[in-house]
Amino acid sequence: MSPVTDAVAQSAQLGWVLGVMTVAFLTSFVGWTLWAWWPSNRERLDAAALLPLEESP
Amino acid sequence: MEAAPLSAPRYDDASVRRFITATVLWGIVGMLVGAILALQLAWAPANLGLPWTSFGRLRPLHTNAVIFAFTGNALFAGIYYSMQRLLKTRMWSDTLSSVHFWGWQAIIVLAAVTLPLGMTQGKEYAELIWPIDLLIAVVWLVFAANFFGTIAIRKVKHLYVALWFYMSMVITITVLHVVNNLALPATLTRSYPVYSGMTDALVQWWYGHNAVGFLLTTPILGLMYYFLPRAAQRPVFSYRLSIIHFWALVFLYIWAGPHHLLYSALPDWAQTVGMVFSLMLLAPSWGGMLNGLLTLRGAWDRLRTDPILKFWVAAITFYGMSTFEGPMMSIRAVNALSHFTDWTIAHVHAGALGWVGESVFAMLYYMAPQVWNRKLHSVSLATTHFWLATVGIVLYVVAMWTAGVTQGLMWRAFDEAGLLQYPNFVDTVRTLNPFYWIRLLGGLMYLGGIIVMAWNLYKTATSDSSNALEA
Ligand code: HEM
Ligand code: HEM
Repeated sequence: MSPVTDAVAQSAQLGWVLGVMTVAFLTSFVGWTLWAWWPSNRERLDAAALLPLEESP
Repeated sequence: MEAAPLSAPRYDDASVRRFITATVLWGIVGMLVGAILALQLAWAPANLGLPWTSFGRLRPLHTNAVIFAFTGNALFAGIYYSMQRLLKTRMWSDTLSSVHFWGWQAIIVLAAVTLPLGMTQGKEYAELIWPIDLLIAVVWLVFAANFFGTIAIRKVKHLYVALWFYMSMVITITVLHVVNNLALPATLTRSYPVYSGMTDALVQWWYGHNAVGFLLTTPILGLMYYFLPRAAQRPVFSYRLSIIHFWALVFLYIWAGPHHLLYSALPDWAQTVGMVFSLMLLAPSWGGMLNGLLTLRGAWDRLRTDPILKFWVAAITFYGMSTFEGPMMSIRAVNALSHFTDWTIAHVHAGALGWVGESVFAMLYYMAPQVWNRKLHSVSLATTHFWLATVGIVLYVVAMWTAGVTQGLMWRAFDEAGLLQYPNFVDTVRTLNPFYWIRLLGGLMYLGGIIVMAWNLYKTATSDSSNALEA
């Protein structure tokens, strides 16, 4: 392959990799955020925050 | 949570005590070797002209001792202590706990013998030769079995976020260690990696970066989420934020390794991936830092009197500093200046002495009185330790930043004819020498601090029962 097609192949590869990763990470990020802030999880997570303080040493 | 019986189950604190003792002893050894290295760089005769005491052989001894012996034992102490209490159960198996402890110490002793003898695989942070690597794999899996066994018999259903951080360490280190050390043994002390060329470099820095990520960062954050609320006597600022912090951090960390290979033969696109992910890491890192600092809301007045909180605040601040610096150094143009210079060494030790070291000290000052059931011998000595450590770090880091930038600028300086202005490497070495002495001073202060701590904890552990926490 010529240097030009090489470069094109490389940037196409980069576009693909970054594109797929961006979508995957964004989806999971939104997913965790929704889960953490979902109203029905609120009580459970607020209680969980107290776990380290529960027991005297 | 689910109302667990409050008749406290008896915990295995003997293991915690052993790991704490090992942390302190190896910490002194590892940092003493660090100080010797600092002296050697300032004053070459300190190499003593012997192969076993030369810089090249002692440097991996330092890194292995402080990362795997000092930090490693500290992580195990904190994890054994906190996980039993968070899950309200004793560790799954006392036998496995013992094998884990003694196995880990055996590995450290083997490292301390083989490295000065010059036996090495030549991979940074994975220098140990293949038989020791096998032993590491076995001992680590023993720990993993004990860890997951304890989770399986837990009496509290919800896994508190600290445990997620620990879990990510247990799983990730297993994979990293095995994959990076795949090699064909030739003799008992020599082997050839199964990878070659650029692939070898990429695997090595995927390992190297994530060893930093999953030994020096993630588990310590988990410990912060347990020990900081205990020290501050209030829950973490936002538990939800800690969940986002966890997932974002572990997902982004894994991809950032190529920032160690900028301007190398690694394909450009892979370098860019490393750079972009490093920049994104800033967000969860600072989210975690703010979550830690804001946990102290309403407790700031106690900072004046409580050395444990002092250590936490300084540690978290250094975490914020090095996780700002790291993403900047991942930008190609900045890395072009910082790479190969003492700037990297400044970055490393802001993280290692500031974040890792001071978190460990905070944790030890909290834990030791609990597991020996004695009041801390001296709060004022702990405060002295804090100031020795913090001023020591500042001297070390500022000296190395200055040295690093000076070094980088000298290497790239041209004269009017377009020739290198400082073609002799020794020109830079001469210029940097005063900074190396300042670094040694900072390192000695830091080392002095940990010796003060060792004395303080020894007096705590051996005092008589009139000093018990609870009668
Ligand atoms: C008294 C404290 C310490 C002193 C005086 C010290 C000194 C040094 C010196 C002189 C070097 C070699 C630098 C070079 O090659 O130019 C070094 C490297 C290193 N140290 Fe320390 N150190 C100390 C504590 C620590 C601790 C506690 C950690 C980790 C938890 C640590 C982690 C490292 C690492 C990872 C490197 C290799 C850095 C790289 O390759 O970029 N050090 N240290
Ligand atoms: C967002 C967080 C971070 C990023 C993006 C980051 C990025 C970087 C970069 C770009 C380098 C220089 C690579 C080179 O030029 O060779 C580096 C080196 C290093 N960093 Fe970080 N860093 C971060 C946080 C930390 C923390 C918290 C610690 C320690 C506790 C740490 C420990 C190290 C070590 C040990 C090295 C030296 C590796 C070697 O060359 O031997 N980093 N980091």
